Order: sequence, then structure tokens, then C-alpha cells
Amino acid sequence: MAENPGAHGQAGATTPISASPSETASTDDSLNARVKTPRKRPWTWIVIAAIAAAAIIIGIVAIVNWPASQPAGQRDSITIGLKLAPTNLDIRNQSGSALDQILIGNVYEGLVARDENNQVVPALAASWKESADGLTYTFHLNEGMTFSNGDELNADDVVWSIQELVDKQYHDADSLANFESITAVDPHTVELRLTKPNSNLLWTLAGRCGLVFDKDAEYDAKTEAIGSGPYLVTDFRANDSITLKANPDYWGDHAAKTQTVVIRYFTDDNAAVNALASGDVQVLAPVSENLAGQFADDTEHYTVQAGDGTDKYVLAFNGAGEHTSDSRIRQAIRYAIDHEELIASRGGADAPLGGPIPSLDPGYEDLTDLYPHDVDKALALMEEAGYGPDNPLTLRLEYANTYGTDLGDQLRSQLAEIGIDLKVEVVEFSTWLQDVYTNKDYDLSLVDHNESHDFYQWADPEYYYNYDNPEVQDLYAQALAATDDADRDELLRRAARIVSEDAPADWLFNYRITTAWANGVEGFPVNLNQTQLPLWNLSYEG
Amino acid sequence: MNDANGYAAVVLRSMWRRASGRFPLMVIGLWVLVSVVSLFWTPRPLMQTDGYHTWQAPSAEHWLGTDGTGADVFSWLMAGSRTNLIIVILTVLVAAALGLLFVAAMVSRHTVLAGASVVVVDALISIPTVLIALVLAVPLGASVAVIVIACGFGYGLNLARVARPQALLVARSAYVESAMADGASGAYVLFRHIVPNILPVMLVQLSLSAGTAVLAESGLTYLGVGVPSGTPSWGHSLATTVRFISVYPLTVLWPGLVVTVVVVALNLFGDALRDAIDPVTNPALRQGTGVSGKEDGHGR
Repeated sequence: MAENPGAHGQAGATTPISASPSETASTDDSLNARVKTPRKRPWTWIVIAAIAAAAIIIGIVAIVNWPASQPAGQRDSITIGLKLAPTNLDIRNQSGSALDQILIGNVYEGLVARDENNQVVPALAASWKESADGLTYTFHLNEGMTFSNGDELNADDVVWSIQELVDKQYHDADSLANFESITAVDPHTVELRLTKPNSNLLWTLAGRCGLVFDKDAEYDAKTEAIGSGPYLVTDFRANDSITLKANPDYWGDHAAKTQTVVIRYFTDDNAAVNALASGDVQVLAPVSENLAGQFADDTEHYTVQAGDGTDKYVLAFNGAGEHTSDSRIRQAIRYAIDHEELIASRGGADAPLGGPIPSLDPGYEDLTDLYPHDVDKALALMEEAGYGPDNPLTLRLEYANTYGTDLGDQLRSQLAEIGIDLKVEVVEFSTWLQDVYTNKDYDLSLVDHNESHDFYQWADPEYYYNYDNPEVQDLYAQALAATDDADRDELLRRAARIVSEDAPADWLFNYRITTAWANGVEGFPVNLNQTQLPLWNLSYEG
Repeated sequence: MNDANGYAAVVLRSMWRRASGRFPLMVIGLWVLVSVVSLFWTPRPLMQTDGYHTWQAPSAEHWLGTDGTGADVFSWLMAGSRTNLIIVILTVLVAAALGLLFVAAMVSRHTVLAGASVVVVDALISIPTVLIALVLAVPLGASVAVIVIACGFGYGLNLARVARPQALLVARSAYVESAMADGASGAYVLFRHIVPNILPVMLVQLSLSAGTAVLAESGLTYLGVGVPSGTPSWGHSLATTVRFISVYPLTVLWPGLVVTVVVVALNLFGDALRDAIDPVTNPALRQGTGVSGKEDGHGR
């Protein structure tokens, strides 16, 4: 063994070391045994330990039961849990629906607003008139309006806000299409002129474009917000929480019912659910349908409700793709997908959707019977195109990892039945943007298009769908130019039907937001609450 | 070759004789068996989903229930074992190759190379494996290659660090000096003298790395840079169910249990292997014929 001194040397060196602790331990034991005997006072320690344990248990029980021991009655503070957090408060520059959700209608107000059915209702403007040619809109403002800093809100602020939006091209300025000018007729009347009719104008003004800011106020828009709404932002922590306090000098009839509303943001679904279960938050929106079960079962303490929304899960087929440009294959995919099964696996709250327009948008029509689940028809179409289960066609589905892997797995399974070998690539959102949205290099893509009034996507041949149908583009242009809402809706309906028949995509379902709240909470909007969340009517008694 | 077989048999027999060695051997044997079987048979077709029967509790039809797509959890775990086995084997091979390369550089007679490589290995070892994987995932996307390269690289560095003192002793020993004087090449010395002497250290270190690779697969797949969607692996089974741990804890428990048992087994395997290949603790080796290091000295 001498010839291998290193290895054995090392091994030999470790053995005594590993042996030595046991020796030491045994020495310790014998020492301890001798040491303990003379001064043995076990009872003292047991009593101290028992008291400490009792104190800890009492403490925990007290903390756990603390909320329950509060007296019942109207609370002046509510905490709500949301998901997507804003990084700053600058609603004119920062994109993302998180800002619209929390600021519009609560802190900032627009000329007009949207109700829970996505219809335009009065806000700062008490009424308005549209000229017969659809080119001039006259808004009559409410009287006695003030910003939270005490400044008066009048026509000058409205004109300044919209003019700034157009001049400085703030976020979303593009959607204010055909804008020509805005002028103050008198302190309570504003006139907005268009170059061409825009039937979406009022709805657009109910979003970011119509918000009115105080032209005289100076503040850091990233961390503060001075508006005319029923709430003030008193504390903002990026990506964490926002505290709203009721505006004591609110001018209108949407005065806040609850003094303080704290909004906490949870990126982790389990943490969010635990927060509701433990009473840290009283409302949770959205809550994943699969996780909502524990609250849905406990009707004594919680209410769970799904609200309508405009989220469309669009499985787009590349119109210029090698195989997806063949309409037989696109139609076969639509027949092959079992939408009911997809919805069932997600908990059953979502609604089937047969075309590009969801139920809360103008021009909606139930188109789900155009492509019912029919595997035989799908197989026949695939055979016509030259493929089948024995001779499968390989297609690539690329989508962002924010939607999870379940949908891809299910689509792969469903399409395998008709001879499509679906390769699913779940990628970073930035990769998806690059590959699909920018380079249009894809076969199939899956996105939740959550915007309302977004039919323009199907009328734009440059959009990533590569869908180009002049008839649809013409109908959409007519719909935009319509001066009558009924005409507009009819034109959109016709366009949507053509789009769905052409099968440039499959609409998997209309995602409906599930909201859960502790019983006693009243007035929390369930429809569209991820886009705009007016909180003035919210109250909690318990 | 016969010698090596004899040595392996002695070592395995010694391991099997102890309880702490029998358990890891059984687990690893079962793992290999299940991996092979899953290539031909799983209780349910792997890619079959069923939206109407998601999150089912264990039943005669689905032995461990179903996941969020209605797929059979047991079948996915079975099929996952082969992916994990491949990942572990490839990772260990990459780590061994890189580790040897670094060891060779660090004990080289070229003092500048030796000194520089020690510094480089020390510097590189401070980069976390996860970071390497995240960087690799940018060009490669989520793939098995990301796990194998990132882990293989990280564990190779560790291996080199651990094996260096031993390798250095051998490299500077009298018999290596005489072999070099005899005209032996660097590669000959490395494989004939250094490798046999650092083999015990390497085997233990690599079996620990194997356990860590199983854990890393789960972690990286959860982060979305590991095994791609649609490829069965234990990490995939964990990643797709862990969001629902508060509602369907059982579905998370199964893959978690498999990973835990296998990692514990691989770590115990390392311990048992250390005991079994050390002539001080394994009397079988002292009387046996199999210690290749023995002949080296006399052979030359």
C-alpha cells in the first residue's frame, strides 16, 4: 500500500477524524452523566418550559382570533388583492392595464366613463351631443367640479388635457383616431372636432384618452396622482401596494363609501388565496378558478362570482404559413378543438366564443355553431389536404409562458386525433413578441387578447395574423364611419361572421374573471374588473 | 478489463451487504427498470388529456390520480424517470470530462497554465448553476441541453477542486517522476496514474452531483428553462402542479416524493460507495485482487 501513499494517506487521515467525534461524544456523555448528578433540578426547567409553551400557544391563539374578536359593523378600511401591479403611477406615459384598473374612476376621471356592461355613461360631462355628420361632439360639463388640491375643474382643463395627449403623444393617443381639434366654447362646454367620423370615439374617451388633469398642478406623476375622483393616493409602493383614502372634498355623487382602500398585489396565486383565507384581504380578483373551490364551497363566509370580460383566448393560424395558409387545415383545427372540454378543465367559468367579438363589445353575435366540435369533419378535411393520423402533419405552436403549459398539452392531445403532430413551444413573452408578433414566424400562436373594441386586428393585413380580407377591411371602415350605433353594430356583426367563417384563428374561449370576497363586502364590480375598477361603491360590513 | 469487473463486483457486493448501501442500490435499480419499461408501456397513453376529469383522486383507473389537463400522473412519473435518468447520466459524463480536463490543467508541469487554471476554476466556481442555465436558455430555449451543460459545467468545476490535492500528490510522486523520465506522455500519466488514484474521490463526488442534478432538473424546469413542455420529467410534473398545492396537495406530493427518494438514494449511494471503495473501511478490498492502483506501482 505504500505505493499509493496519497489516496490511502487521505483516507487514513479522514478515518481518525470521523472516528474522533464519537470518542469525544462518549467522553462527553460520561462527563455529563457525572456533572448532572450533583445539581439535578429538573422540575424548575420543566415548569419554565411549560410556562413558555403555554405563553406561545396563548399568543398564537390570540393572534389568530384577533380579527374575529373585533366588533361587527361598518368597516372604514378594506384591503383588496389584485394581481398585476403598476411600476409607477404615470398614467400618461406608463403602459399596462394595471394603471387603468386602479386610477380611472377612482383618482382620475374622464369626460365619460364605462359602466359594468362596457356602455358609455356620463362622468365629468353630464351630457353630450353628436352632430348629424358625426364630425362634431359637444360636451356639457358638470358644474362645481374640483380637483383634490382644490383647483376648479373646467373646460380649460379638458381642452389642455386632450391637446397635451395629442401633442405629446402620450400612451394610447393613437386610439383617438381622426382627431382634428378641441376647443372650450365656455367654461362648461367643450367642442371636439374630427376629420372623419369615428364611432369608437366616446368609448375611447372613457379610457385613458378622455382623462382630465389639472393644468395648474405640479407634482411627480410617477409617485403622486392629483385628480378629481372620489379617492386620493396616499401611499404608493411600486409592485407592492397602493393606499387610497376618500377625497373629503369630492364634487360629485360617487363619493367613497369606505374611507380607506388598500390594494395589495400578489404575483403568487397561492399567497393570494392564503391572504383571503386568513382575512388579510377581503376581496381577491382575479382568483384562479381551480383555487377558488375552497371559497365557493364555504358559502357561509365567502362569495365567488365570475364576471363577464373581453378576454379572448385567440389560437391564431399564420395566414401566410406553409400549411396554415390552407383553409382546409385551418377549418379542420377548428372542428377538432373541443372547447367545452377546455372550459371544463379550467373550472367551467369561461364562456365559449365562436368569433372575434366578445359579448360585451358592439357587434357581438353567438357564432359558436359555425365550427362545432366534429372530429369526423376535421378528419375529412385533413384527408382532403393530404394528411391523416397515419401521415401526420407537424405544426408548431408558440406561446408565452404566462399562460402555463396546460393549454398546449390539451391542444396537442386534441389535435393528435386528426393527424396533427403539434410541437408546443412555451417561451418567454419577449421571445414570443420577437418571433410571432414582430417576425410573424410561426404556425400557431396563442394569446389572450384582452382589449375591448379591438376588431381592428382583423382589418389590418399587417397584423401578426397575416389575415387579409378586403371585404372585412371595408366593412370595418364603414363601421368606424357609421354615425348610428345600430348601423355600426350591424356592420361589425357582418364583418365578425366573415372573419370566423374564414377561420384565420380559433377562439378557444372568452375568459371570465373570477372574483372572491368575504361575505359582508358589497359593491365590488365583477364585470371587466381587470380594466377598470371603480371602488366608490365598495363597502364592508362584518 | 477483467480486473475492473472484479473490482466493481467486490465494491457492489460490499455495498449490498450494508443496509445503507442496499437501499440506494435498490432505488437506482428500480429507477433504471422503470425507465426502460416506460419506453414500451405506461398504464395510460402519455399524451392523452381529458378536460372533464382533471385533478382526480387516485383510483383503479388512474393509480395516482390525474393532473390539471386530465393526464395520468403515474404514467407521467414513469415516463419522467427516463428523462431524468438521461439527464443525470449526461450531466455526470460532462462533469467527469470537464473535471478531468481542469484537473489535468491544474496539476500540469506548465506552471503558468497550472497557476492560471487554479485561479480560473476558483473564479468560475462562484457563478451559480442557475445563472448559467438562465443565460444558456436565451439561445437554446428550454431544453435538456441547458440542464446538462449548466450542471455539467458547475459540477465539473467542483469535482476539479475536490480532486486537485489528491491529483497533485500523485503527479509529483516519485513513480510519476520516473515514468516521465522514462518518456511517458502527459495523457498516459493522467489516465494510468492520476485517474486511478483520484477515482474514489471522483466517484463519490459524481454520485453527489447526480443527486444534485435531479434537484436541479426540477428547479430549472420550474423556472421554465429546463425540460420543454410536453416532455415528461419529474420537474415537469412538479412545475405543472405546484401552483395548486393548497387545493390538490396529493398531485404535488407524488413527484415530490419521487424526487426526494431518488436524491436521498443518490446521496446515500455516494456515502456507501465511499465506504465500499476505501480499503480502510472495506476489508474485502484488502485481501481482494481488484485494487488497480496496486499494480500500477509494481507494474512499472
